[in-house]
Order: sequence, then structure tokens, then C-alpha cells
Amino acid sequence: MTQDAQQLPGMVSGGEPSATRKFDYSVIVWVVLFILLIILVANPIFQLFKESFFVSEDEAGGFTFKNYIDAFETSEYYKPMYITMMLAVSVGSISLVVGAVMAWVVSRTDIPFPNLIRNGILASFVTPPFLGAIAWIFLAGRNEGWLNKWIRGIFFLSDEFYLFDIFTMKGVVFAMSLYTFPLVFIVVLSGLNNISSDVEDAANVAGGGTFNTMFNITLPLVAPSLFAGFILAALEAMILFGIPAVLAIPAGQHTMTTQLRAFMVSEDDLLGLASAYAMPMLVLAICMVWTRSTILGRRGYATVGGKGGQRRPQKLGAWRIPVFLLSLLPLVCAIVLPALALLTTSFMKNLGGGLNWANFTLWNYHFILTNDAVRVSIYNTVLLAIMAATGATIVAAISAFIAQRKLIKGHQYMGFMATAPIGIPGIVLAIGLFSAYTKQPFVLYGTLWIMFLAYLTKYLPLAYQTSNAALTSIHPELEESCRIMGANRLQVFKDVTIPLFKTGIIASWILVFMPSLRELSASVLLWTTNTKVISVVIVDFYEESLLGPISALGILLLLITLVAIVLGFRLAGRDFMRSAG
Amino acid sequence: MAVLDLRGLLKIFGTDVRAVDEIDLHIEHGELISLLGPSGCGKTTTLRLVAGFIEPDGGEIVMDGEVVSSGSSVIPPERRNMSMIFQSYAIWPHKTVAQNVVYGLKFRGITGAEADKRVKSLLSVVQMDHLGARYPGELSGGQQQRVALARALVVEPAVLLLDEPLSNLDANLREEMRFEIRRLHDEFNITSIYVTHDQAEAMVTSDRICVMNSGKIEQVGKPSDIYDIPATKFVAEFVGVTNSIRGKMSAPDLFETGDGAKFMMNSDGGKMGELVSIRPHRIQVHPENADVGGSDAQNVLDGEVTRGYYFGSTVDYLVKVPGLEEPLRVIGDPHQFFGLGSKVRLTIDKSAVVLVSDS
Repeated sequence: MTQDAQQLPGMVSGGEPSATRKFDYSVIVWVVLFILLIILVANPIFQLFKESFFVSEDEAGGFTFKNYIDAFETSEYYKPMYITMMLAVSVGSISLVVGAVMAWVVSRTDIPFPNLIRNGILASFVTPPFLGAIAWIFLAGRNEGWLNKWIRGIFFLSDEFYLFDIFTMKGVVFAMSLYTFPLVFIVVLSGLNNISSDVEDAANVAGGGTFNTMFNITLPLVAPSLFAGFILAALEAMILFGIPAVLAIPAGQHTMTTQLRAFMVSEDDLLGLASAYAMPMLVLAICMVWTRSTILGRRGYATVGGKGGQRRPQKLGAWRIPVFLLSLLPLVCAIVLPALALLTTSFMKNLGGGLNWANFTLWNYHFILTNDAVRVSIYNTVLLAIMAATGATIVAAISAFIAQRKLIKGHQYMGFMATAPIGIPGIVLAIGLFSAYTKQPFVLYGTLWIMFLAYLTKYLPLAYQTSNAALTSIHPELEESCRIMGANRLQVFKDVTIPLFKTGIIASWILVFMPSLRELSASVLLWTTNTKVISVVIVDFYEESLLGPISALGILLLLITLVAIVLGFRLAGRDFMRSAG
Repeated sequence: MAVLDLRGLLKIFGTDVRAVDEIDLHIEHGELISLLGPSGCGKTTTLRLVAGFIEPDGGEIVMDGEVVSSGSSVIPPERRNMSMIFQSYAIWPHKTVAQNVVYGLKFRGITGAEADKRVKSLLSVVQMDHLGARYPGELSGGQQQRVALARALVVEPAVLLLDEPLSNLDANLREEMRFEIRRLHDEFNITSIYVTHDQAEAMVTSDRICVMNSGKIEQVGKPSDIYDIPATKFVAEFVGVTNSIRGKMSAPDLFETGDGAKFMMNSDGGKMGELVSIRPHRIQVHPENADVGGSDAQNVLDGEVTRGYYFGSTVDYLVKVPGLEEPLRVIGDPHQFFGLGSKVRLTIDKSAVVLVSDS
């Protein structure tokens, strides 16, 4: 054994003067991180704030409250705020009811195929909300909507009759709720799964009936999840741009997001007014995020499928099949029907022409694949999504690693810094970035870089949470044991850390890549002719009533997303989407 | 093989938490010494200082005459030729059992057939030779622990460090692995430091035990010394159960409580103190007024049973004795059971009364 010890070069017995003090990297890391945060968050928000207190025409740069007075005095501008609040509350409430009931059904009853329902609801994130809204025009348009036509057909009703009209505020609420109730579902399901049936059994043993137990035990225990879910859904409804742009504007209504865009694209320079108008939304969003994270504790993103004790499913009896079919309804409305509608429309010459060979065409696909603007936008979209996914993943992985391994002084603030942008609505971020990077010395407007910054900022928190969760599962002792066996820091990184962290990194990359593909609310303010992305082209086409090409482009977008998901499953395993939400 | 010396070793966390408070410890070549103490006593920090994962704030660690850690310089863990067994086993989940075990050999220039031979032989030593191709996820906790042992031993380290290696195992397996660790130590004879909070584990495995509390060493000695002649109240109470009795010495061999109870004891070079420790099983229980012989070699006390729990192999009594504030805890023979309220006579050998410092 002594011989072996001496074979080791540079070992203790070798007596080489090898002792070194660790260099303190904290300063460098913090400087880099601070610069990044200043570029991504601090500067845009500061510029937004500054712009809101200056009037554009007044080049002398006088300080003024005029923007705020203008923004909140006129009823024309005041009404969108009211509508937005109403939307947030209604969408939040509907999502809460639907999401919570679905979560209870999946978690607590003997419904068939609960995993199918769970995964189906998770998959509704795949359809971009604006695309879903457009699809619902085909389905529930007042005159030409298929559902209305079918009903007329079945019941021999006149052409005047309609059951659904998507171009109403009810329609907007419906379309929004389809894409926000999964948020409630995830949070509540996770809350329910963490409550062991033992707790409920204890209440039953103590003499409480099923409903008594549900109201006195289960409900209070999931109350934080319910509240957090409501906030998430209401926040999403408040900051969504796509659905109101598609459905509310034709109905003659503006929400705050569409009003903000109207200011920004106006012939007059209304940047100051837009900035002032964005303030209440920013403040409200940050308050909501803060409240939610306070309620949920330090967990941040909820994870689906937490461990709990054994759960004893509630017997549904005769209701088992009806409840199952009913549970499929949100799924059908959010994915199946919209996807079918888009697919069918994309092959149709004439939207009202019906399903027959005479109406079949490949022209829509030919159009989008040969139109230069569309081709550029496809290229831009994929390029931006790759850049954002790569950038966010690198920054997130490094900062999560530093935080988890406590590598530098102040590591405990790392998580806060990386998730700081979480409360900033995309459209507000875009106005901030616009104010910050359209003037000297940093002119990024008109390049893909400004959109890259927007995407990076928007999705950094998501990437950080994913990386952080992945790292938490790598015990530091796995690295230390490698170290003591004779590996230096670099070898440990190569042999243990990277192989174990790899899955988390891939998951983080795909989780940023997918939403980047269809980012709209920031892109719609930052694009220029050469930097259009698919989502912007779709909104453009919509304003020009090019519904056929939209459908084809939508199907293409869904296909790219599907490829990313399949890749995710292959590379990162079945559960890679669990930190989404 | 190595001799280790910790000299005035100091580690401060934050600004004023002295996790390891200037300890001195000499560890002989081929010795297995355990660091025993409650959580937060500094035992794991000491181990990690020896491994080189953390730097001392003062003092030094000397291995075979060479300083490996001091306040100013630290040789990194990978260059110390040590091995470590971790509480979580720390088996790499992405490598097979054999890949786990072979890993350390490449850094020692051992590859190919020679490496395979060593891995095979070590796996058979820990009775895992049939599972070399398995992944850790497919193994039980006990099997993972054996892989960790094989991985640590295959490199024939100069020093083996064990950080609460059995705390994640269930009770039966833990008992079995204690003997296993001792057996492996007897076979390989590697200088070892074993951190644990379980006194039975320390007793079974160690040549010597070092009891730590609040960053300081309370006592170092053979397991029997630690148990029979505890130096401090902390050691007496942490290692096993004991009766601590407060009073003062009225002669070099006589201890008296304030209420007049007297205990004869062996004079310890004229050492004085205000606290004695008497192990419960060193007290014999007899019927009331039993003839227990002369009273030169043993103390005789009369008392009344206030509690008696039957455990099968023993009976756990509390006996109220005049002159003592607290009743005496006594472990008795179950074949002669005394019920609640029984008058009993207790005898205590002089050597069982041990003066301890009041720390």
C-alpha cells in the first residue's frame, strides 16, 4: 500500500509544494451578473419610469405629470383598464373553478385514465393562445362558425340563429380561460397530492362525512394553492395580448395590452403616455407575483406529482363515465377542436366552402413557404428561440450552480436576482427595452438583439427554476466523493456534475425554446420589417384577413413545437415538463 | 499508511461560531478512531478539515510529518490519498457498480487488467462480485453502502474517512454493517477516522473513541475507558446512561452529598471534584435487610422502588434513596423483580463511583 501511495504524482507523500488558496471569484461573477441585470431589467425599467415623466415633444426635457394625467383622465383610456380588471377577475374565477375541480377529479376520484387527463391539460400549453383564439373564430363565429352551423343543421334553425359568438367579451373570457385554467390545475393538483388521505381518513373516523371532510379538512389545506392558482390565472389574463388583439378589438374593445400597442404604433410619439399607462400594470403584476410566492412559500413554481401518503380514491359510481367525458371537454376545447379547425382550414380554398374536394387546396402552404416575409419570419423565430433557450439556459445553469454550491459570497441572493424579471409583463418589458435601446449609445432596435434581450429576460426565471430543481437533486457529496478519489475540480465537473446535470439543462433549454417560438406580447412592439417572427406575421395576416395562410402557419408552428416536445421526451425523460407552469 | 496529527485545529463559521475549537488529536498508524458526539459538536467539520474540503482558520493537520492543512495553505482533497465514505453513500447514479469502484484507480495510474483484477477482488471482499454490472438505482441501501466501501478501499488509501456511514440504514442492517466495517478494518488496517453520533457504533468499531462537544474534545480513550471512567459529566451522560450525583469530597476516597449520603470510592491520586457518576448496571439490588457482607469494598444503601419497568433481559428501576435529591437509576436482574414501593438494599462497588469534571 505504501508503494501505491508513492506512485501518485503530487500526492501528499510526494512533498511537492502544491498548497494553494482558493482565488475569490465572487467579485467577477457579481460584476458580470450585475451588468447583465442592468441591461436586462434595471435599465429598461428605469427608462420606462423616466419616459413616463417626460413629454416627447418637449425636447428641453421638462419633468411633468402630464402623461399620467392624460392616461388616467380620459374615459377612452380609462375604459380598457376597467375591462382588463373585469377580464382578470372573471377569467381568474372561471379558471379557479374549472382547474380546481379537474385537479380534485384527477387526484381524488377513481376516474378512468387520470394520467391522460393530466397530461392532456398540461399539453394545452402547446397551443399558443392567439392561435387558439383564431381557431375559435372558425368554430364559434356568429355566422360561419362550424358549431353554430351544426346546431342550425341539427335543429333546422334559420340562418339568423346562433348559439355562440366568439366576438364578445364572453368569448374573450372563454378563450382566455381555456389557456389559463391549466395554471390553476397544476398548482392545485400539486397541493392535493401533498395531502395524504390519512388526514382525510382521520376526519372520517372522527365522524365527518365526505362533504364535511371536504369542506373542513381538504379545502382549508389546499386553500393556499387555490388562492395562488387564482392569482396566476388572473395575472395571465391581465397581461395576455394575443387573445384580446384577435377577439376584443373586432368587438370594439381595448384591453390595457392592446391599448398599449395602439399607443406604440401610433403616428404620434406617445412613448411617454404608453410608459405612464404601463405603470399600474407593472405594479399590479409585481404585487400579484409577490403575493403568490408568499402564499406558496419559497417553492416558486409548483411541481406536479409531489409525494404524499397513499391516497384512497373517491368512488364516483354511476357518475364515473359522465365525469370522465366532462373532464375531456376542456381538453377538447383547448387542443383537439382548435387543432382540427386549423388543420382543416389550412387546406381550404374558401372558409365557407365546406369540407369537399372542390374546396381542397395546398395554396396556403405554398403561400407561406414561398412568401419571403414569412420565410424570414420562420428563420427569425427559430433562430431567436435557439438563442433565447441557449442564453437563458447558460445564465440560469451557471447562477443556479453558484447558488446551490455556495461558491461565492452572497450566493443566497443569486436566486432572487435570476428570478427578478418574473413579475414584469412581456409588453411592459418591451416598452422598457424600446425606450432603453432605441437611442445612442445602444441602438438595438431594428435588430434581433433587442428581441433576444426581451425573450432572455422573460424566460430567465423559468430556466433558473428548472436548473435549480435539477441541481437540488444532485447531492454535493457526489462531487466530494469524486474529489477525494483523486479528481480535481475540472475532472469532477466532467465526470460527475455535467453527466448528472445534463438532463436538467436539456429540460431548461426546451422549456425556454417552446414559449420563445410563439412569444407575441413583447415581439409585437419590438419587430421591424426584417425582424418579424411567426407570431407577429400571424397577427399581421389576421389584420389583413388572410385566415387560410394563418392556419397553415399555425400548423407549422404547432409542428415545430411538437418536434421540440418529442426531443425533450427523448433527451430529458418523461417528466421534463414538470417544472413548467 | 499514515500517522495523523491535528494540532490546535480551529474552524470558525460566520464570525464567532467556533465549530472546531483548537483541538489536538494524535492518530496512530493503522488505528480506527471514532469522533463521537451530538449533532453540531464539530465532528463532521473535523472530518472535512482532514479531508481538505474546508480550510482551517488556525492550527494544522500533519500527515506523516508533512503539513497538509494549515491556516495559510491547504493541499486539495484529491492529492491527499485519502478515501471517504459519505452519509448519503454518494454512489454515482450514472455509473455501474464496477465503474464506480474502478474510478479512483485511473488517478493512481492503474488501468486495464490490473484495475479489473482489483475491482473484482474488492467487490468479492464486500460480497458484491455478482452485481458489478448493476446501476446504483437497482441496489438496496445496504448494497450501496458496500459499493461505497469497495470504492473507498480499492485505491488502498493512506487514510479512510467515514462520515456517519450507517445512519441511513435500517436498524438490523446497521448492526450487521458495524461488524462489517470492523472486519474490513482488521483486514486492511488503514488509518481511519469514523464520525458517528451512535455510541454503540463507536464502541464496536473503534480502537479509540474521541468524544466531542461544542467544538472541543471531552475525552479520548479506549471504548472501555470511555464507558467505565468517563472524564466529564458530558461523556458520562452521552455515552450510556448514568446517575450524576452532586456533592463534595470529604476525604480523598469519600464523597458526600449535601443531604448526608456517603459514597466510598477509589482515591484517584488526590483528585477533587463536586460530581460523581455511577452507571445503573453497576448497582446491585437486594431484598430489604439482605446480608450483603462487609462494607469496606462496597457502598450499601437502603431505598424504595418508585418505578420498575420489565424489559425481558433487564429491569429498569428508579430507587428513592434518603440523602439523594434524585432517585437512583438501577438496571437489575429480571429474575428477582421488586414491585413498586418495595424496600430494597443497594450495593455499589467502590470502583463504580467515578469522579467526573462538571463541564
